[in-house]
Amino acid sequence: MRIDHTHRKWLAASLVILGVATAVYIPYALHSPSGPRGGSAIGLTFGIVGSAFMVFSGLLAGRKKLPVWRLGRAQTWMRGHLWLGLLSLPIVLFHGGFRFGGPLTSVLMVLLIIVVASGVFGAALQHYMPHMMTIQVPSETIFEQVDHVREQLVADADRLAGAASGPTDVIASAGGGMIATAEPAVALEEGTEALRSFYMREMRPFLQSHGARHQLLSDKERAHSTFEGLRTLLPAEAHDVTRKLEQICEEERQLRRQVTLHHWLHGWLMMHIPLSLALLLLGCVHAIVALRY
Amino acid sequence: MAGAERTTKKRAQRIDLNYFKHPHPFRRWRFWLSLSVPLLALAWIAWYGLTGNKRVYSGGKMSPAHAVLTAKCDACHFELAGFFSAKASDRACLACHDGPIHHANQTFTPKCASCHMEHRGSLRLAATSDASCTQCHANLRTSGAETHFARDIEDFSTGHHPEFAAVRAGSVDPGTIKLNHAVHLKRNLAGPNGPVQMDCDDCHRPANSTDAWRFSSAQPSAAFAAQKSDLPALSKSDLPLIVSARAYMAPISYAKHCAACHGLQFDKRFAEGVPHDTPEVIHEFVVKEFQQYIATHPAELRETAPGRNLAQKPLPAPVRVLTPPQWVAERVGEAEELLWRKTCKQCHALNFSAGADLPTVAKSNIPARWLPHANFNHEQHRLARCTECHAAPTSQETSDILVPGIRTCERCHHAGAESAESRCFECHTYHDWTKAKEVKGGITFSGLVREN
Repeated sequence: MRIDHTHRKWLAASLVILGVATAVYIPYALHSPSGPRGGSAIGLTFGIVGSAFMVFSGLLAGRKKLPVWRLGRAQTWMRGHLWLGLLSLPIVLFHGGFRFGGPLTSVLMVLLIIVVASGVFGAALQHYMPHMMTIQVPSETIFEQVDHVREQLVADADRLAGAASGPTDVIASAGGGMIATAEPAVALEEGTEALRSFYMREMRPFLQSHGARHQLLSDKERAHSTFEGLRTLLPAEAHDVTRKLEQICEEERQLRRQVTLHHWLHGWLMMHIPLSLALLLLGCVHAIVALRY
Repeated sequence: MAGAERTTKKRAQRIDLNYFKHPHPFRRWRFWLSLSVPLLALAWIAWYGLTGNKRVYSGGKMSPAHAVLTAKCDACHFELAGFFSAKASDRACLACHDGPIHHANQTFTPKCASCHMEHRGSLRLAATSDASCTQCHANLRTSGAETHFARDIEDFSTGHHPEFAAVRAGSVDPGTIKLNHAVHLKRNLAGPNGPVQMDCDDCHRPANSTDAWRFSSAQPSAAFAAQKSDLPALSKSDLPLIVSARAYMAPISYAKHCAACHGLQFDKRFAEGVPHDTPEVIHEFVVKEFQQYIATHPAELRETAPGRNLAQKPLPAPVRVLTPPQWVAERVGEAEELLWRKTCKQCHALNFSAGADLPTVAKSNIPARWLPHANFNHEQHRLARCTECHAAPTSQETSDILVPGIRTCERCHHAGAESAESRCFECHTYHDWTKAKEVKGGITFSGLVREN
């Protein structure tokens, strides 16, 4: 979600809430005989408000899972998740008087800081990366289909290379992997031999390696100059094939880029979601125990 | 590019339409982490629960005074009424500590934990915040009688804390002993054996000082055997405050501090002076001395008149023969004239009532403790020269009060870094320890401490 002008009201409301909370906290902290603490009336109020913010933020997952529930727009929930989630950190700090306390409360504070920090990080990524992805990956596909698309690219490339330089036979290696034999099934002209050799040694491994670095075709400029050089060795009839093979390489590079960007865009959720669930769970334990003691 | 050359239909044909039914590693990882991390958290709490260890719920490290009870939460946290009533209550504190009421006229009594916050780490529990005090004293209200205490004290700074009562405008030294500090501290003061330079500690030392006094009487005579101090003894309320018997200065004693220079000779016939005592005792002593003397020197009963005419005095007979009682009475009269009009009067305020033979000596009234509602410990201030706080070298009047005012203390005791403690507890005690009661603790240390 982009943080744009539609967030202005949320920003303003959050600043007002933060301002009011700060205005309440400062005199309370300065004049409270026992200092700010979570068990005082004001401390408890901060705790309840902070918990409410965290619970609301956690309910976003439920709202997403149940889109048929007409409980406000998903965008509104998302904005609430961002801003109220962010606000929960200072409110909880006010609740505890900026002290981490004992083992359970220290763990809770650390979890909250990590969750909010990861959330802010994720929000920044979600703000900038989609546009980046649109520019860098015009051939974007559904992420879960990347492997499937890659298989199709390999099949397309095999077909094109086979049509230009003879069929490629694939035999099983002693180790169980699949390697393509360089032995042509039929005699080839000298130029197409170069194409076949290039395809088997560089391009097919490139298409199958799914992200290995430092390959000749990983870099667009180097790949283009390689294909240009190849075209000088090939007859004119084969140039169209090399152009199509080059396009397949470009698509593979875009898929790699898409996977990388997707990992950045969604990888932070591996930390954010589990830790936030743990935070909510331990928060419930803390609420019960703190009220008891 | 391949993407641009493919049609939408071709693109759509590339996608497996049932892809969402197959789990993807990314989503799988997210699911299992979302399950396992909270379960791990729950297991962590459950582990503490199964082992009966409640320390995980502690609000923070214990103070050093209570650290031994870290594993014994129920020493302070026990249910009073139901599950949610296990807060540390006053009852728990009073099981080991007495906490006498502050003042009978206070409008409310704060809970122990509101001032003495535990679980804040290595803090002194007695080091309460100023807010604990100013919740009442910033706008003091009392139940019942009016109070003579300041009603708006916010902290220890000029303007927010009243001047010390002893040195407020209009205050005078209640003591009746005449003393000029400036004279006593001047250079080349005439001493018993030549010029001396006195120092503050020649008269003022803590109560348990064992060093010899420079200007005490050389040898206590029999006359001093019955010497009583007329200075008020420190009261019971002072005892808890004199932590090391060096908090306050010992009362001034004639025998220890004055006798060497200020002798109480009364007649040239006697080397010894009168005892430092009441006029009645002195009179008795003087009479006895003269009686003993004339018994052993009967020749002095015959007096020859002096050869010169003393102005405004009736001329005595050229030769007189007195009876012993007459002689004693005359000598006693002369001696007492010297004592009451000069010797004793040099330091004491004497009151001559009409018809009374002997004067009355005003009580010395030297306060042992000038600030009865604040604690002070000289021992903790021994790094400083006396004159840093007490303007003795320039004091010439008995009425001068040499106890420093708030501005003197503020030089060191103020808020901020690089300053001495300035919070209320440093000088004031909340609990009225004169009303302390004995408390028998009930904690056993089994399982808490190392067994030898």
